[in-house]
Amino acid sequence: MNKSRTEPWLLVLPVMALLVIAFVIPVASSLIASFTSTGSPGFTLANFSDFFESSVHLTASARTLRMAFIQTIASILIAVPLAYIMSRLSARARVVMMIATILPLMTSVVIRTFGWVILMGPSGPLARIPGFLELSNSHQGLLGTELGVNIAMVQVLVPFAVLSVLGVINGIDVRLQEASRTMGASFLRNFWHVVLPLALPGIVSGATLCFALSISSFITPNLIGGAQLPVIGAFIYQDATVNGDLPFAAAQAMLMLMAVLITIAATNRLASSRMK
Amino acid sequence: MKRRTALIAFTSTAVLASLTACMPGTGSGSAAGAPTELVITTFGGDWQKNFTDAVVKPFEKANNVTIKQVTLYSADALAQLQAQKSSPQIDVVFFSGGQEATAARDKLIAPISASSLSNGADLIDSAKSGLEQGEGPVIQISPVGLTYRTDKIDKPTSWNDVFDPKYKKHVAFTDLSNSYGTLGMLSINQAKGGTADDVTPGISAMGQAAKAGDAVVIKTSSDLQQAFSSRDIWLAPYAQDYAETLRKAGQPVEFVLPAEGSMASFITANAVAGRANIPLATKFIDFALSSDVQAKFVSGMTYSSVNQKTEIPEDLKSKVVWGSSLDKLQRLSGATFGEKSATWLKQWNEAIAQ
Repeated sequence: MNKSRTEPWLLVLPVMALLVIAFVIPVASSLIASFTSTGSPGFTLANFSDFFESSVHLTASARTLRMAFIQTIASILIAVPLAYIMSRLSARARVVMMIATILPLMTSVVIRTFGWVILMGPSGPLARIPGFLELSNSHQGLLGTELGVNIAMVQVLVPFAVLSVLGVINGIDVRLQEASRTMGASFLRNFWHVVLPLALPGIVSGATLCFALSISSFITPNLIGGAQLPVIGAFIYQDATVNGDLPFAAAQAMLMLMAVLITIAATNRLASSRMK
Repeated sequence: MKRRTALIAFTSTAVLASLTACMPGTGSGSAAGAPTELVITTFGGDWQKNFTDAVVKPFEKANNVTIKQVTLYSADALAQLQAQKSSPQIDVVFFSGGQEATAARDKLIAPISASSLSNGADLIDSAKSGLEQGEGPVIQISPVGLTYRTDKIDKPTSWNDVFDPKYKKHVAFTDLSNSYGTLGMLSINQAKGGTADDVTPGISAMGQAAKAGDAVVIKTSSDLQQAFSSRDIWLAPYAQDYAETLRKAGQPVEFVLPAEGSMASFITANAVAGRANIPLATKFIDFALSSDVQAKFVSGMTYSSVNQKTEIPEDLKSKVVWGSSLDKLQRLSGATFGEKSATWLKQWNEAIAQ
């Protein structure tokens, strides 16, 4: 009896240890660091006041949130129909679609983004479209524009959204849909009133995942948007590695973590009220 | 239970064994007559390859030493020296970002006098200007100048050409998070009448150009290569040795030192204080300063020579800064850089961000 109670604990022990070593301790030490200063001893709020007084950081935060929001909506809009179609395909076709969805994840983000840089830049095929180069004020096509970053990021995010939505849609009893269709509901009505509400948990978790990934990304925004469209992740990297100001970088990371936590709490609340 | 104990015993033995193996002094002891060992830092990659062929191998052969290279970039190397102050593990350390100023101030490196170097008299002034403060001599110079597409534009002559309306939308600046970006900004700033204490003339002119879309801002050397190859960039302030990298990648580019002169990146070689074999380390550094070795830095890495006696091959005379032009190169002191770089970066971010 005793043994059967300790065994589950033993099984979760490795992951708990990993979480503590790789997540709890680093986040806690970042939290502490964010209230310190490189120059002087003791605790201070200076990092946070510096942040809220810096127009560059505030603009970058607003840009980060705005782009994360747009990218999440776009990824979900693409992922939900795709996942629905995939759930209704034959097993073989579904495997093919699944591979097509997951395959981009096998390539490094840097490589994929360099592909976009060539495609979106002045030497790419799109540059032949009249007016394309003028999309950025430096005549670089989509490079250096938020639209360019959003497009490249959505490509990164869609697989994550598809996977979380598909998991839930696959679990929906097909007979419910059959029932609604035999009762005379159109394809769209069935999708809207039966599939979508039941898929909501998957959509919420997919959206949360996309939002968290987007807000913390800096490689793609850096390569496509460049130095002139900084996101908050880029500033954290810069303050940590170039300026060596770890406390200030930690403070920004904590603010970002807070933004993610608030979003998760808000979407969960919204979703649970809808699902009731 | 028994099995668990056995496992614990085994693991701890293994851990202990690996710990002992890491300890200095144990393991391979140095027997008498065996070659002495020098530990030097390296920047890795092509730099290490060139340095190994030009300096390490010939020196090992001539002096019956083995040289161990440890990959450490300048800031990390300085941090290691500080951490190992009581028992240093490195003999020769290379700095590219002015860290020798801090290292000399903190007595982490041993002073080298010009008279103790057989090549001392042949060095250009800027290579030995730090010796009096206890810094090591400069062994390599990479000037910052203008890299331009020869098929698109005429040879530029002034830093102000980056603001020429003819080249609008075809200029790339490098972000200040990159040290060459900083040196380029300071050079433009000087041409605009600014100083290290007042970088506003340079930063505001560059910021205006960037915000108007007349210039793009790239972040790394690989971004620069891409800017020239696929972003229709014709002109960029950057380092002399990187122009050669671009040429090797097939870009039709040349490098020019603007008339106003410029800042340059100076790589110093320093003997670490408190090590047993400082005379040998000094001899090693001296060897790297000889005209033969310097010629290999010039031909292999497109650096400028610090030794006046170095023969510059004809085909490289248009590609590297040499002779009296070297006087136009200025050195940014490590102290100034350490003190101001964060402020410069902040001002820069505000000027370029949209």
